[in-house]
Amino acid sequence: MNPTTEVVHAASALASWIRGVSTETEKLSRNVASLLERNLLGKSKVDKAALVGLDEVPREFLTKNTFAVGAGAFFAAESVEEGGRALEWWSRKESGAIGRLDFDRTPGSNRYYDYEKLPFFSTAASTGERTLWGPYVDFLGFEEYILTFAAPFSVHGNFTGVAACDIRIKDLEPLIMPILRVIPGDAALINASNRVILGNSGMYLVGERIKSGSPDQHRIALDVPHLGLSLIYTT
Amino acid sequence: MASPTSFQSQIYRSLPEIERADAIVDRITKAIALGLLKVGERLPPEAALSEMFGVGGATLREALGDLRERGIVETRRGRSGGTFVVNQPRTQTDTIRDWFLSTSISEIRDIGDEHSAIAATTVRLACERAEAHDVDRLQELARALVLATTPEARAPADSRFHIELAVSAQSPRLTDAEIRLQEETVRQLWTPFAVAFDPEQATAEHLELVRAVAQDQPEKAQKLVLEHIRRNIFHLIDTKLTLGYAQSVQDDQ
Repeated sequence: MNPTTEVVHAASALASWIRGVSTETEKLSRNVASLLERNLLGKSKVDKAALVGLDEVPREFLTKNTFAVGAGAFFAAESVEEGGRALEWWSRKESGAIGRLDFDRTPGSNRYYDYEKLPFFSTAASTGERTLWGPYVDFLGFEEYILTFAAPFSVHGNFTGVAACDIRIKDLEPLIMPILRVIPGDAALINASNRVILGNSGMYLVGERIKSGSPDQHRIALDVPHLGLSLIYTT
Repeated sequence: MASPTSFQSQIYRSLPEIERADAIVDRITKAIALGLLKVGERLPPEAALSEMFGVGGATLREALGDLRERGIVETRRGRSGGTFVVNQPRTQTDTIRDWFLSTSISEIRDIGDEHSAIAATTVRLACERAEAHDVDRLQELARALVLATTPEARAPADSRFHIELAVSAQSPRLTDAEIRLQEETVRQLWTPFAVAFDPEQATAEHLELVRAVAQDQPEKAQKLVLEHIRRNIFHLIDTKLTLGYAQSVQDDQ
C-alpha cells in the first residue's frame, strides 16, 4: 500500500534535517582538510605545525551547530608524525562552555581509545563516503549514548582522517520527535543496521533492533546519501 | 550510585594540579617501596620539595596530606621536626588481602546477587540488540583474557569483556553498573592467594556466552552468565575462607 501523506511528509522532513547535519559534517571535514593542506605545504605527515589553528574549526562548528555535543577530527595513524597528536576533539560541557576532550592514546593501556577500530572511523575510511554510527554507548570516548556523523578527508589526494560530530540521543529526541509525532501510527527512524534511532511510541524504543517485518510494518528509505536510513511505520 | 554524572566525572577526571599531586605521591611511594627512602628518614623541607618538584606549595601540601592519610609519612613540629617516613607503603596485594579480611561472606554473596541481577538483564538485552560488529569485538576481548600472561593483566581483560557486553546491550546505566561492580571485585578475583583463578576456563565461558549472544539465545545466555558469576563468587568466598580463617586461627594462638 502507498504511504499516507503524513508519512511522506515526515520522511521528507526527517531527510531534510539529517541532510543538514550531514552537510555540516562534510563542511567540517573540508575545512579540516583545507587547513591541513595549507599548513602542510607538501609535507606528508601531520606534525605540530600542521595543527596550528585547527582547534578553531571544531569550535566554530559547535558554536554554530547547537545540536552537536562534540566535534573534531581523528587522523589515520599512518598520516601522523611519530608521537604527534592524533586527534583534535572539542565538546560542549554541561555549563555550555566548549572545551578540548582528550582520550587515552597509549596502546595497551586499560583506557586506550582505539578509534581506528570504531565503525564511524573504519567505515568512513574504507568507503570514502559519509557515514553514520549509532546509537551507541561511547565507552572510553565521550562515554554517553550518542550518534556520530562522520566524513573522511584527504590531503593532497591521500586519505588522512575522519571529521565527525556527536549528537547526544537525549538531545536528538526533542529535535526530531515533533516530525515523528505527526504520523498517526507507530513509526521510527531506523539506521542502516535496522536499529531504532528514535520512535514515536513505546513500540519502537531507541537501541532496539527491528528483526522481521510483520505484514503491517512498512519501510521507506530516507533521501540522505550514504547513511542507509529509513523510516518504518505500522498501519 | 548510577547517575549520568559518574560518566562525566570520568571524562573530566584529572585536573593538571591534582595529577601533579598524585605524581608526587606516586614518586615518593615508589621510592620507599624500592628502599631508596627508608623508614625513619626525613624528607627535605617543604620549600625545597616544591622547588625540586616544580610545583606550588598547595600542590605539595596536598601530596603530603595524602601520604599522611595513608600512614606513610608523619609531620612533626619543633626544632627536630619535619616530614618523616614512618611506614612502608601497602602493596596492591596487601590492599586486596585487607579487602578479603574486612569483607564478610554475606557481603560477598550480596555482591554476587547484585551482579547476577545486572548481568542477567544485560546479556538478555545484548542478545536482542548486539550486531555483528559487537559480536566480533566481544570475541576479540574474550580471547584477550587467555592471552594475558599475568594476574595484573587478566583483571582488566576480564572486566573489559563484561563492560563491553553492557555496551553492546546499548544501556549507559547497565554499563555504569557493570563498571562499578568490576571495579569492586575483579582484582580480588585474579590476585592469586589460595588457588589461582583459571583464565582458560573463564575464557571458554566468555566465548560460549558470545556464541549465545550471536545466536540470539537469551535463555541460554542468561543461564551461562549466572553460572559464570556464581563460579566467580565461589572463588572469592574460597579465598575469603582461606585468608580469613587462617588469620583467625593464628590470632587465637
